[in-house]
Amino acid sequence: MDERAPTMIQRVARLLGTGRNIVDVLKRNNIRVTGDGPATMVFAHGFGCDQHMWRLMAPAFESRFRVVTFDLVGSGASDLSAYDKDKYGKLQGYADDVLEVLDATAKGPVIFVGHSVSAMIGMLADLKTPGRIAAQVMIGPSPCYINQGDYVGGFERADIESLLETLESNYLGWSSTMAPAIMGSPAQPELSVELTNSFCRTDPEIAKQFARVTFMSDNRADLARLMTPTLILQCTDDLIAPQAVGEYMSRAMPNATLRMIENTGHCPHLSAPSASRSAVDEFLNGLTY
Amino acid sequence: MDRPSAAAHPAEVLYEDAPCGLLVTATNGTIQRVNRTFCSWIGWSSDDLVGKRRLQDLLTMGGRIFHQTHWAPLMAIQGSVSEVKLELTHRDGRKLPAVWNARLVQHEDQQVHEVAVFIAEDRHRYEQELLRARRTAEELLAQEQAAQQALHAAQVERDRLQALAEDRAHFAEQMVAIVSHDLRNPLSVIDMSAQLLGRTSLDAMQLMAVERLDRSAKRATRLISDILDFSRGRLGAGLKSKVQPIHLHQIVAEALSDFRVAVPSRTIHHCQIGEGVCIGAPDRLMQLLGNLVSNAIAYGASDSPVVVTSAIAEAAFSIMVQNHGEPILAEQLPTLFDAMTRGEVAAGEATSVGLGLFIVREIVLAHGGTMNVSSTREAGTIFTATFPSAHSSSG
Repeated sequence: MDERAPTMIQRVARLLGTGRNIVDVLKRNNIRVTGDGPATMVFAHGFGCDQHMWRLMAPAFESRFRVVTFDLVGSGASDLSAYDKDKYGKLQGYADDVLEVLDATAKGPVIFVGHSVSAMIGMLADLKTPGRIAAQVMIGPSPCYINQGDYVGGFERADIESLLETLESNYLGWSSTMAPAIMGSPAQPELSVELTNSFCRTDPEIAKQFARVTFMSDNRADLARLMTPTLILQCTDDLIAPQAVGEYMSRAMPNATLRMIENTGHCPHLSAPSASRSAVDEFLNGLTY
Repeated sequence: MDRPSAAAHPAEVLYEDAPCGLLVTATNGTIQRVNRTFCSWIGWSSDDLVGKRRLQDLLTMGGRIFHQTHWAPLMAIQGSVSEVKLELTHRDGRKLPAVWNARLVQHEDQQVHEVAVFIAEDRHRYEQELLRARRTAEELLAQEQAAQQALHAAQVERDRLQALAEDRAHFAEQMVAIVSHDLRNPLSVIDMSAQLLGRTSLDAMQLMAVERLDRSAKRATRLISDILDFSRGRLGAGLKSKVQPIHLHQIVAEALSDFRVAVPSRTIHHCQIGEGVCIGAPDRLMQLLGNLVSNAIAYGASDSPVVVTSAIAEAAFSIMVQNHGEPILAEQLPTLFDAMTRGEVAAGEATSVGLGLFIVREIVLAHGGTMNVSSTREAGTIFTATFPSAHSSSG
């Protein structure tokens, strides 16, 4: 994957016929552009893995949209030398990157699809440059993960500390180039051994800071300001974003639609891809995209 | 679940009592099958778990978040996870660190997860030790870096202050040199005018006043001369001595007769040893003698004589000045010849600015000689300046 990446980036850069700055952004965020259409869908992964999360979702839109997937800096095959502790000590740092990704790749109206923490990153980008994003799809979003007064986020501070400890003892093959010799998986025979665990491979220090920034964030006050049409995809059984959070958001946001998806877990785009796709399709049709 | 009978298939026994926990779960985590080893570790029976609990429900909260954000996507994308370390929660609330492998398998018409788990208490403890050690090392490194930075900042500040102090000292020395030099002209006018006044007819009162004027002007001139010599020395020019053949005893005798006139109340003896022509700078030697004798008069007991010895030997000549009285304190001896050092004298009696002995030493050094001092109550205080290159004609 790593060996192919530069070639792909060079190809995209040539395709876009752009200058050095855009090449930097493409490399920094390991951007992939596929499909074509009058509007652009940008898919942003959440905390934990990388853009491979969209493999069952994004390709379905390639026939109608220009489709952009990318890795947040610090995740996946992004340029780790671009990781700046101060910049990425706040979600706004990632939101600023999103705006650069849009400038480098988007054509026509932009539909931003953000999973988990990237839903809030997309909102911050939107609020910074109103009008840049035409529609938002938020999958399993949460404006605040920690319970505060009457607000139910689902977690206590101690839970986040417990997560940080878990991250500290799980390298997922980070420190070695050789992936562990995993048992073959009959369900996914096409995956090569080198890719094992790599989707979730993150520098443990970066993973810890990203976890802290994600789970300590509180963007509830911003919700009311987001005028962009927004679809909230809420799973029926999601530890990370409980139903109460989706309901809170749809009440707080002026232009949001809440759609429930029958699913256990935090990644309906992986475990319930067709239901997720059709919910997004319905939303986009309603907006005449 | 009953223990399989001895007749049970060996593979079944291996599954149940395997040296690791073995589970089969639905893709959403619901436990479909669990072996006896796992049940014994966690304190729940198979009946408590199968169909009733999900694998993630048995984890700590940190483990459950990790399961959702890492494990589940990995299972969906690559169909397996390996060497993941998550803590189980025992029925009694204890935490059990465990290492997990899992894979996605097609069982007839449904997908399931097969899971193997090992308790890893010792490995966990070891990892905790390593993490603690790393944190300690990182803290020490941070402290070390902070200390280095503080040290560097202090060095920069010290250098800055030192440069500032040097600038100020240099400026002060320059200023003293300039002021001293410029004061000589008005002083010589005062001196000359006093002498002119002294030649006119004056009454007794006027004469005394003119003499006081003359003495004060001469003293001020001497002080300025000292300061100029000092600042020239410090400014690197050194004391310029014009060496020439001299008659040592004669020079000393002349200088002492001047003293006897100026200070008639004190007795000054002159001992002369040896004969011959010496090499030296007469004006500087007289200055040296003047400073030493002035000190002996100022600090010595007023009822005892000052003894000056000029001695000429084979390869050296010396000037020795001795007085009795309170000896110099031992702790003052090492810095006695440094500038701005002055002994205890009555207020208003100071005839120098603390440069006298400094200049004495500079003169001796300029001649290539050595300076010694000894001070005891019995022998008194003795300053000895010894110079090389005497040309003895005696003996």
